[in-house]
Amino acid sequence: MRLLAWALGLAAGLAALPVAAAASPTPATAWYMYGDSASELRSYAYSHGCSFAQDQPDASLRVLLLDFGAARKLGSSTWGAVDFSNTRFSNAEILAALERAADGYHNCHVRGAVDVVYGASNYHLSGSGMSTTDAWHAGYHQSERAEDLHDYQVSQGYSSQTSDAAGDMEPSWDGELITKQLVNGDQGQGWALYYDFGSADGCPQSGSADGACTNGWQVSDVGYVSFHGLAVPLPEIYYSVNASQWTVVRKWWDGAQSSGYFFAGATASTGVGLTPTAAWGALESQNSGLVDSELVCFGC
Amino acid sequence: MLSLRLAAVVVAGLAVGTGGGFALAGAVRGGPPEKTAALERLDSVATTDSSIEPAATPSSEPQPIPGRMLDAGVPVPISPSILRARNGWLVSDGRTLVAVYAGAAGSDPEVGRVVIVRQDLAAGKQAIRIVDAGPTGALTIAAAPLGVSVETSAQTGKILLQSAAGGQVLLDLGAGKVSHIAHGASLPWPGRRPRTSDSASHPIRR
Repeated sequence: MRLLAWALGLAAGLAALPVAAAASPTPATAWYMYGDSASELRSYAYSHGCSFAQDQPDASLRVLLLDFGAARKLGSSTWGAVDFSNTRFSNAEILAALERAADGYHNCHVRGAVDVVYGASNYHLSGSGMSTTDAWHAGYHQSERAEDLHDYQVSQGYSSQTSDAAGDMEPSWDGELITKQLVNGDQGQGWALYYDFGSADGCPQSGSADGACTNGWQVSDVGYVSFHGLAVPLPEIYYSVNASQWTVVRKWWDGAQSSGYFFAGATASTGVGLTPTAAWGALESQNSGLVDSELVCFGC
Repeated sequence: MLSLRLAAVVVAGLAVGTGGGFALAGAVRGGPPEKTAALERLDSVATTDSSIEPAATPSSEPQPIPGRMLDAGVPVPISPSILRARNGWLVSDGRTLVAVYAGAAGSDPEVGRVVIVRQDLAAGKQAIRIVDAGPTGALTIAAAPLGVSVETSAQTGKILLQSAAGGQVLLDLGAGKVSHIAHGASLPWPGRRPRTSDSASHPIRR
């Protein structure tokens, strides 16, 4: 009988394992991209792809988020981004870097699969002279380059890889109208999921109403840029309040729209109020069963 | 013996169940039809490559970034919920990179804050540190090592910060600390080591 009790105890412990695993996905490193030249950008991207593969903790599909800075119009018909070292890169140069990240992942692949993601932000779009139409094109071409990357992955036999796009959508950085056009452009092109790894800065921390956020944004605007079309939320959860704000966004969406809002996971960081694991847990605790098991982390 | 078998069956059964947890993650998704194709694409990705041919590796020659200031127009990677950035500074020797962003805490504009981003490009590691300077108001980088001769040394050097209230704060990148410069002290930049007020120093907050 004692042995049976032990077995049942062990069974109970093992039964809890899937829950525990679901509650604490292992963080996957995301990268801020710096580079003084296109060749440097490619070299760093290769390195990031390789190290990501070497460190991949499990056999699931994980997001490799490369944040190339702010979306920009570089010329009359040229699009791209200005990176964090203040260097402008065209989408052709960014695609070349993304392909090197794919190469790096392939060469160092140990287990699992990867979604290589072209990230950019809404940082000072208007201030750089971009119109709402320009922002739409920026989103369109971001998705297009993600599809180009997928074509490359297929052509190279990288069947453990796919590709998407992402936006660090920060209400403080620009208005809601121009920011929404990034999502609309992505949807217009139609290929890439558009992970929103931004914030619900200044939004209410409770309730389900369409309250005010920072910089003239509303909860509904955050809902739009994070779930309209091909957008999926991968929100920054750095402090407990962030999880509460995003829960309000989810509740507002579910009350106002026909489709059910869910989270692709969470974006975390080191050096902030919540550890990455706690960040994911804080979001899940308020949105039980609606947070997928992705956890990207800047600084991990 | 019966109990042993029962235990084995229970353990084996649960082990299978644990493996099935991977599929459950995908089942959480669903929702709007416009996302369906993309989400199904994610679920169809294999875990092995059909090609075993290694890809060409790009040049690994270090490509330094000379020390440079990053003004307010340059994108900031740090969320405004963490830092309301005023400006930044960057240097890289091609192997390790350091970027510093100065401003105020996202939740309290009275708290001066610096965020340090370090990337070890060879090891594939990235670290982010937050250093608070106390109730100084927003900080701005006033002076920092610039140019091509400091690409390695500056990564553990010093940066002079100006507070909104007119005070000066020194960031020691090597120690990861800020110190308030005593009123009337000679300007510490460039070249001369400043007098600092130890009692006003703040440890790194992680």
